[in-house]
Amino acid sequence: MTEIDDMLRDNLQRSWRAMVDREPSGFDAVWHLAETRHMRRRCVRHAAVAAGIVTVMALVLKSGVPSDDTAYIEIAELFESTSWSAPSDALLPEREFDIYEDIPSFIESTEPVGGALL
Amino acid sequence: MRDGDALENNPHVSRSALEAIHSQVFGWALSRCNFDHMAAEDLVQQAYVELLSGRARFDNKSSLKTFVFAIVQNLVRSRYRRLASRLRLAANLAAQPRDIAVIADEPGPRGEVWKAVYALPARQRDIIELVFCRELTIEEASSVMGVSIGTGRVHYDRAKKALRTKLADTSVTQNDRN
Repeated sequence: MTEIDDMLRDNLQRSWRAMVDREPSGFDAVWHLAETRHMRRRCVRHAAVAAGIVTVMALVLKSGVPSDDTAYIEIAELFESTSWSAPSDALLPEREFDIYEDIPSFIESTEPVGGALL
Repeated sequence: MRDGDALENNPHVSRSALEAIHSQVFGWALSRCNFDHMAAEDLVQQAYVELLSGRARFDNKSSLKTFVFAIVQNLVRSRYRRLASRLRLAANLAAQPRDIAVIADEPGPRGEVWKAVYALPARQRDIIELVFCRELTIEEASSVMGVSIGTGRVHYDRAKKALRTKLADTSVTQNDRN
């Protein structure tokens, strides 16, 4: 550092002190506010995580409960009629039949042979 | 090894160490905020929040003072970027770009010496303040500013030359000394 540097330093420091007429805010006050802000932010983050977990759990639980639509056979329908059609299930054949009338025609073993069923 | 009052998320930083450099950090924040006391307090507070949360993690690679100064500098940069983008957006919507000039016209430093410092380009001004007022070395100041030490030295030399010329022109140096 040269003499001019020292002079410049003195000047700037003196000028700074003259210019900044207010004392800096106390450390304790600033620190306390920072801690409060930090805690608040942490609470908000935890609340957001908890809300996310609750939402996911609600979705999982809801999708796990079988709905009424998946019931396979309507009991009342079964007892009131001899014909039955499968509910709209893509895996089942779209065929309606009367078990007393239709079945013998497509089960060969029910055809009488020599007056007797096979 | 944690000190007694070390921070939970920043084991190498203690409350007492921060208290020791608080006034220096506040001074740096003050000049970053165009000498607005409230804004500086908010900025220092935010820097402490960064340390408390561990988002800014000190690992003893530099001095704590350099590290905290760099946090303040980065916070100002990100705030300025946000503010600048908002102002650009507002200017585009209102088609009145003069709004941007309002910020520059806010009350700045008083006193001839600081006016001369503030007339320097931003990086020269910063390095002069960090070296002469905040007692950092050129290397530390460069680290705070996020530039290489070579670049820091260039800014420092240019700033000193410019400042000497300006102060000699206005003969402030002599007046202030008396």
